[in-house]
Amino acid sequence: MSNLAFATPLRSPAEEQRTRHIEIVSSREQRRARPRAAYAIVAVAGLFVLFIAQLLLSIVVSDGAYRIAALQTSQRDLGREQQALSEQLDMLSSPQNLATQAESLGMVLSTTNPVFLRLADGAILGTAAAADAGETVITGSAGSLVPNSLLAGVPLVTATPTVDPATAADAAATGAATGTGATGAPTATLTEGSVASTPTTLPSPVTR
Amino acid sequence: MNDARKTKRRTALAVVVIFAVVSIFVVRLVDIQVVSATEYNKESLEKRSVSQTTYGSRGNIVDTNGNVLADSVDRFDITASPLLVNTFERKSDDGTSNVEVPVADAITELATATGATAADITTALTEKPGSNFAYVAKSVTLEQLTAVRALNIPWVYDVLHPSRTYPMGSVAGNLVGFIGTDEPQNGLERTENTCVESANGTSTYERGADGIRIPGSTVTTQEASDGGTLKLTIDSDFQWYAQQTLAQRSIELGADWGTIVVVRVSDGHLMAVADYPSVDPNNVDGVSVNDLGSRAFSSPFEPGSTMKAITIASLLDAGKITPTTTVTVPGRRDLGNGQSIKDSWAHGDIRYTATGILTNSSNIGTSYLADSLGADARRDYMTKFGFNSSTAVEFQGESSGLVRPTSEWDAVTNYAVQFGQGMTATSAQMASAYQTLGNGGVHMPLTLVEGCTMPDGTVTDLPSTEGTRVVSEAAADTTVGMMENVVNQGALKKDLTIPGYNVAAKTGTAEVANANGYGSDRIISIAGLVPAEAPEYAIVVTFAKPDTLKTSGAVASTFKKITTQVIKTFKIAPSTVPETKYPLNY
Repeated sequence: MSNLAFATPLRSPAEEQRTRHIEIVSSREQRRARPRAAYAIVAVAGLFVLFIAQLLLSIVVSDGAYRIAALQTSQRDLGREQQALSEQLDMLSSPQNLATQAESLGMVLSTTNPVFLRLADGAILGTAAAADAGETVITGSAGSLVPNSLLAGVPLVTATPTVDPATAADAAATGAATGTGATGAPTATLTEGSVASTPTTLPSPVTR
Repeated sequence: MNDARKTKRRTALAVVVIFAVVSIFVVRLVDIQVVSATEYNKESLEKRSVSQTTYGSRGNIVDTNGNVLADSVDRFDITASPLLVNTFERKSDDGTSNVEVPVADAITELATATGATAADITTALTEKPGSNFAYVAKSVTLEQLTAVRALNIPWVYDVLHPSRTYPMGSVAGNLVGFIGTDEPQNGLERTENTCVESANGTSTYERGADGIRIPGSTVTTQEASDGGTLKLTIDSDFQWYAQQTLAQRSIELGADWGTIVVVRVSDGHLMAVADYPSVDPNNVDGVSVNDLGSRAFSSPFEPGSTMKAITIASLLDAGKITPTTTVTVPGRRDLGNGQSIKDSWAHGDIRYTATGILTNSSNIGTSYLADSLGADARRDYMTKFGFNSSTAVEFQGESSGLVRPTSEWDAVTNYAVQFGQGMTATSAQMASAYQTLGNGGVHMPLTLVEGCTMPDGTVTDLPSTEGTRVVSEAAADTTVGMMENVVNQGALKKDLTIPGYNVAAKTGTAEVANANGYGSDRIISIAGLVPAEAPEYAIVVTFAKPDTLKTSGAVASTFKKITTQVIKTFKIAPSTVPETKYPLNY
């Protein structure tokens, strides 16, 4: 800088004066005390982090709201299904139904000799006598005289389950096709991906 | 200088414009946020918030073993908007293309799914075409609802409709009662409504455009509350057997009605109260209005000779007779005024013991025995046995029967009440009186409700366990011993004996009064206790106005079946002591 000043002596002092720049040089302490950009960056970044966190949180919360809604719906549906099934169970376990079903299987209610087998010592209390096949409560008399309108349409357990011929044929065909087509599949039912059900047992679960 | 002024003016203008714009915004902001804030908030809340009815579940009615007699279930009303009824499109079964479904097809599908007729649905949809609401089907099951939903008809909706079902039909239907469209109408459903009744609640929450609840916005304004579980003393399996047997025999005999009441003697709990005819609460219209309640509680009748056991117990307690007190019984007892007492069979003088009088059911003999005690004392015994006042059950429409004050007794009534004529009682009262005999003379309050368990676990409605002594233990036990002779020495010995068990019983063949005095109608009954040496259950079987057989012998087969079933159901071990036998004659 000083070299340059000496090399241009022709400049007018006025010009020189105008360009002269005076400034107060801050001391080290003053510089140190001045706010640093890093702080600002940290503060702004912190703010952004907060905003993003807030955003993510509200996304999570509202996502949770959807999950809650879905789960509540499925809880309600499952509750209703459970209730419908227990309603059916109560209806089927009504004494009228049990007695009718039992008698259809050939069971009778011995109305003559009450006999007990005491489990503690195997003693037989009372005089054992064979029940008479005619000692029916429902069949043979006028039928069930304790009406239960809910039981209309409940079939006897002895009734042969009616199988729709078309469905049976379909099942057979599917079985044959997968049996020959799929390699390494142990059985046709396994490839179906669900447990096979028989008409007399509970149906396999259906996912909706 | 000129330039500077221009700049100044421009700046001023900009400031003024900005200020003006800002003021407009501020005014609007204040208007929205402060002045009309409440209004806007309300409007927005109305758009976002939905109010929902939350249903409390009406409590179940269960039998003593917890088997459900009355159950609350979800049913659904299928509704539609006639305004929107139109042809619509839905995905074909394979999901690849859309098919058009005409209204007629949709109605047929709805009919199949709900079980309603297509004609009814068509009427419902076309009756008020401009309306936004119509019922397609009411109270459909979940299965039917699923079928309806699967149809994907855009103008069909569903609403929850909590309902009531009675899984066992008419088993205890006479006791449980039923619910009408709006409120409980009959039986325990009505009288114990405070126990099982539920309250619906409402909850309001805000939802977004897609119908999903805005998190944290639920405001429950009123909590729904479930009803309590009402537990009866009835054993439903046994109740069914009693009803079936009763109905079968009533039909055979052509009886107008019949009842079977079985009471556990130790605590007065009713194991069965069978009525014929009886209502199936699922199908209330299936029977006549007169058959909706329980005749065992509501129909008093002149019980007849079953009252003789009560007379004997009273006289034994008063120390006036013993089982072997002797009486010479003539064929007719003249009371003057042209009034007389007769027996049901013609006979000359018979030398009976008191047991003989009870076993052969002699009215004349009973009248001579009754002479030993004053009328007021005899009537006091009757009221202490529970006659002339309703039982502790206080069933809907329960009758208290009638034993007139002694001042109104004429010469015949003075004796007739002792063999069950000229006074009335219900089957429940008779069972309660026999419970007293079986329980060593201590009358327990007759109990039908075992308790009410509220959802929070508190139990209310607990029955009273306080008994009252009516006759001494010796008098009660001796009476039961004398009643054993009806079974082991009486005319119905063959029909009433249960091998291995001592049974005590008393028959009754009562004349039924009509407008012209006593006619040819009878009410026949047998009341008894098993096992006789230490009674556990009291059994009363009654048939009213049978057509084919009109003597108590017609009841014997039913009484024996019920007693056998009591033994089996409640596991009564065979008797180990010999039967009690007193001489009948001297």
